[in-house]
Amino acid sequence: MLTLRDIRKSYRIGPTEVDVLKGVSLDIQQGELVSIMGASGCGKSTLMNIIGLLDRPTSGSFMLDGAEVSYTDDDALSEIRNQRIGFVFQQYFLLSRLTALENVALPLIYRGNTGSDSHDRCMEFLKRVGMDDRAHHRPNELSGGQQQRVAIARALVGNPSLILADEPTGALDTQVGGEIMELFKSLNAEAGITVVIITHDPGIARQCKRVAVMKDGVIVP
Amino acid sequence: MMIQPSNIKEAARSLLASKQRTILALIGIVIGIGSVIAMVSVGRIVQEESLRQFKEMGTDILTIEKEFGGSPGMPGAQAKSGLKLETIRDIPGGCPAISSVAPSVRGSGNVSFNGKKLDRAGPMGVTASFLEINKLSVRQGRFLSDLDEQSRFCVIGSRVAAELQKNGSSQLLGSKIRIGDNLFTVIGVTNEVPEGGMRRFEPNETIYIHITTGLRVFANAEISSITARVAPGTTNNSARDQVMSYFASLGKGPQVKITSPEEIIAQMEKQMQMFTLLLGAIGSISLIVGGVGVMNVMLVSVTERRREIGIRRALGAKRGDIRGQFLIESVILSLIGGAFGIVFGIGASWLIAHFAKWQFVLSISALLLGVGVSNAVGIFFGYYPARQASLLDPIVALKSD
Ligand SMILES: Nc1ncnc2c1ncn2[C@@H]1O[C@H](COP(=O)(O)OP(=O)(O)OP(=O)(O)O)[C@@H](O)[C@H]1O
Ligand SMILES: [Mg+2]
Repeated sequence: MLTLRDIRKSYRIGPTEVDVLKGVSLDIQQGELVSIMGASGCGKSTLMNIIGLLDRPTSGSFMLDGAEVSYTDDDALSEIRNQRIGFVFQQYFLLSRLTALENVALPLIYRGNTGSDSHDRCMEFLKRVGMDDRAHHRPNELSGGQQQRVAIARALVGNPSLILADEPTGALDTQVGGEIMELFKSLNAEAGITVVIITHDPGIARQCKRVAVMKDGVIVP
Repeated sequence: MMIQPSNIKEAARSLLASKQRTILALIGIVIGIGSVIAMVSVGRIVQEESLRQFKEMGTDILTIEKEFGGSPGMPGAQAKSGLKLETIRDIPGGCPAISSVAPSVRGSGNVSFNGKKLDRAGPMGVTASFLEINKLSVRQGRFLSDLDEQSRFCVIGSRVAAELQKNGSSQLLGSKIRIGDNLFTVIGVTNEVPEGGMRRFEPNETIYIHITTGLRVFANAEISSITARVAPGTTNNSARDQVMSYFASLGKGPQVKITSPEEIIAQMEKQMQMFTLLLGAIGSISLIVGGVGVMNVMLVSVTERRREIGIRRALGAKRGDIRGQFLIESVILSLIGGAFGIVFGIGASWLIAHFAKWQFVLSISALLLGVGVSNAVGIFFGYYPARQASLLDPIVALKSD
């Protein structure tokens, strides 16, 4: 479902050009559970942001479900993110003023869906991650692991075909991290959702069907 | 972009999160909207007021006054010669367009009752026709008649009557009031009339005596003003022309100035324009200041909430959604300011009406204008920050802290 060819990304800092991605080529099939590993600063997050359509590559071709997205306009990219991609971040990125339930509802709101079926659907996914009893709590009333569960419910509520998780267990202890990882594995196995996880933890990577290793801006074969 | 209850709820929540800043930004809006509302509201009040007075006094009234200051040829000489009572009494005879006249002379000297000085009581010498022409009526006793020439009778306004009662008069009729060195017997009391208006005196605070008596007992007495009723079927202008030529035919007689109700209303409207100009200036300056305040709050808010913007964009918010979110916030901010401004402005116009002795009316158009203007301020000054927010690159927004 993902086809990246010779993706490059460089930043201009003053007079110097910094090449972060130096020609990444990668294929990920529907239903895969892939982890991306690599040293800090090698460009994993940069790659993830490009895959997630949050950032644009400097050059290269990126096909999502067979369609080239490099030249798609901003509104269409927003729509793809909303409909097909679920994000899970290391820092959870929940909106602090909203309750867990309201956070989970955000992707549906941007779909124009705010009815009672939306409420039921959000509760269903909170239940799925075991957070239904905390639906009306604010993020600051939840532990890190609980916040990440809410964030996962939010990533799932829009029924995406791709979950992108950038160090989802990075801020959690091994046990909670393991539970989160179990959640991803079951989603992948039961719903056939494609899951891409960036991690530094070899234990996590080992649980994935495939591990891609990045080094200095390229994927090591 | 869709406006939904959830949008509004969220906007209110984020404005509450920065209460102090919100309140500071609101002050400008409150003053701005307040001034605009006060302006419109006072305008409406004055309009109603002039209409009311038109209705009360009728439009067929001319005020004839002695022109002060002589002509260039004979300075001083003309100013000395007053209007003669006989000349005035002959006006209806000389001018068919005038049906009746009511000359008056203002009195001076201390007014007292039972040895107590009455402050709010002005003596005035009038004729019998004065009552009807000025649309006054008698509550008790009778008014002065033409048979009361040189008499020591007086008729008092309702407030003077109240003053007398306060000072121990059990029987108003027959009470004796001292004006200067003369004692006058009360023979009648006039009804209360609304304050303000086109009358050049305050009917409720006046002590009426016969004009012939007045001319004799008042120091430096001189007929200063005549109210004339225009005969039915004639226009004010032709009546004015007749009166002018009547006075001109007297030769070296005094110059007169003639004012019609239209002119008095025009004068009121001119005063009103001053208010409008002043309030309009204050209003528009404060609105700009308030608008800039709103813009500032929103710009700070956008900067502080870059992370939030990034998160929303990652979850699928389009640029329009982000723009809408911030626009709703600035509009709500302005509307809250507008609501306080409306209260403030209506209150101010009530005060102005109170002190100018006009009747207060609540103007719905002012309310609607307030809502409309605050809405417009919110959109106008909120647009730039909202646009800035919507143009943020998702990844830049997400990575910022
Ligand atoms: N906006 C930017 N401007 C300049 N350089 C940037 C920018 N964003 C990232 N970089 C650089 O790109 C490189 C890769 O960053 P990236 O965040 O992708 O690393 P990473 O592999 O995710 O590292 P980590 O494991 O520590 O999260 C870093 O050297 C970083 O300094
Ligand atoms: Mg990273």
